[in-house]
Amino acid sequence: MPIIEIKDLNVHFGENHALKNVTMSLDKNQITAIIGPSGCGKSTYIRCINRMNDLIPGCKVEGEIVVDGSNIYAKDVDPVDIRKKIGMVFQKPNPFPKSIFENVAYAPKIHGLVQKDGKSKKATKNELEETVEWSLRRAALWEEVKDRLGKSAYTLSGGQQQRLCIARALAIKPEIILFDEPCSALDPIATAKIEDLLIDLKKDYTVVIVTHNMQQAARVSDKTAYFYIGELIEYGITEQIFEKPTKELTEKYITGRMG
Amino acid sequence: MNRRNREAMFFNLFRVCALIVVLALVVILGYVLINGIGKWSIDFFTQDPRPNVHGALVEGGILGPLVGTIYLMLLVMVIAIPVGVLGSVFLQEYFGGTRIGRIWWMVVNNLAGVPSIVWGLLGVALLVYYLNFGLSLIAAAVTLSLLVLPLIMVATKEAVEAVPSSLREASIALGATKWQTVRHHILPYSTSGILTGIILSISRAGGETAPILLTGVAVNASIPGALGDQFQALPYYIYLMTQTTDRTQAYAMAYGASLVLIALIVGLNLVAIIMRNRYREKYRW
Ligand SMILES: Nc1ncnc2c1ncn2[C@@H]1O[C@H](COP(=O)(O)OP(=O)(O)O)[C@@H](O)[C@H]1O
Ligand SMILES: [Mg+2]
Repeated sequence: MPIIEIKDLNVHFGENHALKNVTMSLDKNQITAIIGPSGCGKSTYIRCINRMNDLIPGCKVEGEIVVDGSNIYAKDVDPVDIRKKIGMVFQKPNPFPKSIFENVAYAPKIHGLVQKDGKSKKATKNELEETVEWSLRRAALWEEVKDRLGKSAYTLSGGQQQRLCIARALAIKPEIILFDEPCSALDPIATAKIEDLLIDLKKDYTVVIVTHNMQQAARVSDKTAYFYIGELIEYGITEQIFEKPTKELTEKYITGRMG
Repeated sequence: MNRRNREAMFFNLFRVCALIVVLALVVILGYVLINGIGKWSIDFFTQDPRPNVHGALVEGGILGPLVGTIYLMLLVMVIAIPVGVLGSVFLQEYFGGTRIGRIWWMVVNNLAGVPSIVWGLLGVALLVYYLNFGLSLIAAAVTLSLLVLPLIMVATKEAVEAVPSSLREASIALGATKWQTVRHHILPYSTSGILTGIILSISRAGGETAPILLTGVAVNASIPGALGDQFQALPYYIYLMTQTTDRTQAYAMAYGASLVLIALIVGLNLVAIIMRNRYREKYRW
């Protein structure tokens, strides 16, 4: 069942046509991998889904992205509301220079906690602590940090920092989480931990992951989309894309003859 | 001359330059200290300037000028810090990277180079007479605030730019608004840099003579009780002392007062260093 439907998405950075007529839909509770050579528009694409490109002066986005039945690029939509519902994890771990606890508690603190009736209210200290513990457990970090929640996030290793960033994103209770090359700054062991976590998260969340590591795409994703110079070349079940790609460009890329 | 020799020669040249800088500083500070410290006494800090038999204000102390200068510094802090810091952050976060933003920063950078007497002229024409502030503490404080505004703005801009954009993105991606991002992240993380600019500005405001000369400082004014009153100030007092005929006594008073002014500025810098280190400890990336 599709949760995100993208229709005729075009992105321009001034003269540069960075994404060209992209149309695709992403399934709920699945992992979709975005692959392609450097500069093909992977980051641009994923940043359209939570309207992060709105921050870049001179960036123009056209087309529709329908999430849960409503177009997030409709005129009356506040991008801040979109970002409250879609989590994002970046290429380099970017925890705030605050304590581990403060990092995870930040979003629930400013947004309040969502109640059963859909409204949100200010979180009590207790509820904040619960949310922080829940998020850290969900990000498989709790056991490693439970005794030092007050310590600076920068005392953690790179892999732990990245899982902290995942916990921080989970604390907003999103339905969708976007990952932009989350492992490119990590060593293989930390990478494996994140990959396990991704597969575990799939039960409850819809995951979109940009990666330049094709083995990673093959290992974790259900579907894979291949981009080349701003165009969606091929999109389908991951095994098919890797074993029997239908387009020559895709085959060249995954067999390593390009990129 | 071979390469080794040439390198040695340049290295010695640099050494001489560094020595000149250090010597100049030591000589100036030492000279003021030696000549001024003798005047420091309880009376010097608790009495107003008094005329001697010839009518020159070389007796008594510097209470009035000292209080006037402290009032000026405080007022400049109250006016220039919020306007400068918030204005700068606003320009940076909302117009950063746009043409309007670039033009505006060009204007600010140029304003930083405008001579202080020109600000004084603006202050007297616009504030004192056109807006009817009269010659007053508030007219002088606003003029000095305008003068230091570009300094605070440029320092704030640089401090804000030093915050990695990845932290800004992290906050926005969590659904924080721009203002929340500024208040919870950008400002706290750039506090140490902003403080440097603030201290520099306050020191500058405390030491300026030309602008206050035109906008409200007065010989022997009493300690101001309201914003509309005239006032005395240390730099102006020092200037007056150099204008009297009674050189020996007047210069001694001028050195004593200069030492107070320097101590004020050094004190401010120490406070800034302590606060800066505290913030740097707290927010490190
Ligand atoms: N902030 C930006 N300003 C201008 N052009 C950009 C910006 N970000 C990306 N682009 C351009 O968009 C294209 C796609 O970039 P990107 O999405 O970052 O590629 P990828 O993530 O696949 O390496 C590139 O041509 C790049 O130069
Ligand atoms: Mg990228």
